[in-house]
Amino acid sequence: MLEVRDICKTYNAGAVTELRLFDHFSLSVDDGQFVAIVGSNGSGKTSLLNLICGSIPADSGDILVGGKSIVKLPDYQRYITMGRVYQNPASGTCPNLTMLENLSLADNKGRSYGLTRGINRRRVDFYRSELASLGLGLEDKLNVKMGSLSGGQRQAVALVMATMTPLKFLILDEHTAALDPKTAEIIMQLTDKVVREKQLTAMMVTHNLRYAVEYGDRILMMNHGHVVLDKAGEEKKNTSIDEILGMFNKISIECGN
Amino acid sequence: MKNNTFKKLLTAALALTMTASLAACGSTGAASSAASAGASAAASGAASDAHYTIGLAQYGEHASLDNCREGFLQGLTDSGLLTADNITLDYQNAQFDDSIDTQIAQSFSAENCDLMVGIATPSAIACYAAAEDKNIPVIFTAVTDPEAANLTAGNCTGTSDKLPVEAQLDLIRQMQPDAKTIGIIYTTSEPNSVSAIAEYKEKAGDYGFTIDEIGVTAQSEVTQAADKLIADKVDCLSNLTDNNVVGVLSSILEKTNEAGIPVYGSEVEQVKIGCVAAAGIDYYQLGIQTGIMAAKILTGATTCDDTPFETISEYGIYVNSEALAAMNITVPDEIAAKAIESTEA
Amino acid sequence: MLDLIVSTLTQGLIYALISFGVYITYTILDFPDLGVDGSFPLGAAVTAVMLVAGANPYLTLLAAIAAGALSGLATGIIHVKLHVRNLLAGIITQTALFSINLQIAGSNLTVDRSSDTIFTAAPTMALFGGLSLLARKLAVTLVVVVVVKLVLDAYFRTKSGLLLRAVGDNSTLVTTLAKNMGNMKILGLMISNALVALAGCIVCHEQRSFSATMGTGQLVFGLATVIIGITLFRRLSFVKGTTAVIVGSVLYKACIQVAISVGLPANLLKLITAALFLLVLVCSGRKGEEIIHA
Repeated sequence: MLEVRDICKTYNAGAVTELRLFDHFSLSVDDGQFVAIVGSNGSGKTSLLNLICGSIPADSGDILVGGKSIVKLPDYQRYITMGRVYQNPASGTCPNLTMLENLSLADNKGRSYGLTRGINRRRVDFYRSELASLGLGLEDKLNVKMGSLSGGQRQAVALVMATMTPLKFLILDEHTAALDPKTAEIIMQLTDKVVREKQLTAMMVTHNLRYAVEYGDRILMMNHGHVVLDKAGEEKKNTSIDEILGMFNKISIECGN
Repeated sequence: MKNNTFKKLLTAALALTMTASLAACGSTGAASSAASAGASAAASGAASDAHYTIGLAQYGEHASLDNCREGFLQGLTDSGLLTADNITLDYQNAQFDDSIDTQIAQSFSAENCDLMVGIATPSAIACYAAAEDKNIPVIFTAVTDPEAANLTAGNCTGTSDKLPVEAQLDLIRQMQPDAKTIGIIYTTSEPNSVSAIAEYKEKAGDYGFTIDEIGVTAQSEVTQAADKLIADKVDCLSNLTDNNVVGVLSSILEKTNEAGIPVYGSEVEQVKIGCVAAAGIDYYQLGIQTGIMAAKILTGATTCDDTPFETISEYGIYVNSEALAAMNITVPDEIAAKAIESTEA
Repeated sequence: MLDLIVSTLTQGLIYALISFGVYITYTILDFPDLGVDGSFPLGAAVTAVMLVAGANPYLTLLAAIAAGALSGLATGIIHVKLHVRNLLAGIITQTALFSINLQIAGSNLTVDRSSDTIFTAAPTMALFGGLSLLARKLAVTLVVVVVVKLVLDAYFRTKSGLLLRAVGDNSTLVTTLAKNMGNMKILGLMISNALVALAGCIVCHEQRSFSATMGTGQLVFGLATVIIGITLFRRLSFVKGTTAVIVGSVLYKACIQVAISVGLPANLLKLITAALFLLVLVCSGRKGEEIIHA
């Protein structure tokens, strides 16, 4: 279980542009839940993910994973039990390493990176089967440099890499936003498959309301650092996409969009 | 795509140019080795028929070093042993870059030239290293401390430009009978300067002076050091042959002239620029002395082993009347009698 | 002519060690490390002092590597832990090293011909005693450079090596792999500066001298050779980066040698170098900044 307790975060403190985004913000996510977070620009969705991952520091408050505070840990230590897929397909893989090298790096996450061979040949078959399950024909391109693959292919590999080792959380940061609609659909289906198969707890920020309704167990709508809509389980099932769209339009108008 | 082809072509052209130039340098090398083969055959005969290739490496462009080189060439013919027809000179300048110096010296060695000349310590060291397993004699000049530079063993000799410190102290005492403090700026990484400072400090007391020295690590710090010495109210400045200091001598002189502090040089070029006087080296003379030495060794009249390195046999007293007048210094008759007027023409 | 090729090749190979170092910091880590201009004379200073004191010449190789690694550690800590920008961190180390090098060596230092170097000591003579000194210098240098190249190539295939390559390629990923990117940068800087100091060490054996100013311009040299090498072999993916930079270094020294042999006016030497560099950059069509990660 993830608990965000009384988090405060102010940007540009003391400046004319001071922005108090979170004022004693709290949220808890149950294990195994797939939370879809929507909201207009500047509503605090991505900031929330960054606070959880430690990419930006919180001013006050606490973040707990399984009852243990992680708020004082540096970002890279928090990732021991977290995976993250970014909006930019280039962020999740190394363009100048081959796919095999990329997968080997990810496969070793959580262990030491010493002077033993970087590529474990015995794992190659496993990598192939993981890639084959994507259905993109990537299993034959293990020795191709990542940079020469398309955005969608890279994002698929990034997803495989992020979920290769045991995780407590998977963070999906608008990970379909930079892809064309067809590829986005494929990646979203793959995401759903991985999350269900591995029974992951996932938090997904998205601009696509349909994805949020279709794939999320729980929908959070954020506005100005507040949760304005939070529906899970039965309540979520009874919520239509139109209802959420109506709400979304309302807050967007408030924002002047 | 068209653009790509163009780039490929360019790259290919570049590679070709490199290869072609390498081949070209091959022919140069072959030509000079043929020449030196002829030279050694002729060496047993009359000296006037003999032909010698001299590789001359100069550390950088610098008035003193240029004078040294010109003096050296003069000295070769002054020796009476050689004429210009006997000599092929391969002159290279390293532009103060040690690694280029190395390559220059190695190309001399590869050409099997008959003599290598290193002007200034780094060039001398590079020539000496390149000649390590060959029996090519190395002649150095403008090296202050050949012993510290380990240039005294092997087929190597030359001339030192060690400063006549006592003569300089004596000169300053006679020019400024009331002076107490001499300011000196020097580069801490230049061994020549460090040893000169040590000698200044050791002997200053004998002439009733104290030395106010400031060490710098780079040329950019020199003018600041000059400001400090002026603020310290030193009675005069005295220069070494420190490259960093000499390089910005004009801007030092601007400051000291304004403050009314005379600056003494260490060689004739510095006096020409505006120092009041110097008991120092004329690098042209040093070059001549070296050239004569080289001619003797080249023609087999003597060997490096039998020729210990020499310091300048005669130092000169150089004065700049204009600068002296500006400082209201009257030159004692004794000095005026032997001084050489060295005002920039 | 043969002698000239041998000595030019030797110079190219010795300085290729600097290219290796710059290849790691600039190409792999995206870190233009000006500390290189200080690590190079550092290696020479340590070596000169040890040779003068009569130490085992082969030991100086290890000592120089260790000294260089320390200098890389300093740059790394200044950059990573004290959050000083990379260019400035390198400048600080370089400036400090100027004094430190002089403290180590006293002043510019030469080594007497009677002292053994790695080119004249008994084990070398046992292996290459039949060769002239010039050829021996090439043989020993070749051994050192080939060993370093193979070790580097092997290292880049280890887990640690893969992670190091990932730092320059995509530092975000390194963080999500739960690894401290800063520590990897420090490691890269240590390896790089160790290699640069090793170059300084061998130059000191070869020239029997250390000079405080010998490091000036070595980073620029390294960058030029890395870019020349990588550009030339860009389309040949089977040529490793380490091989490419060796070729870059040898070509660079060959061009200088050509300029010397053709008898170009000395004050044009640097201009020729600059022109060559520009030509290669234009050919590459990348103008430098994208060469990183190539």
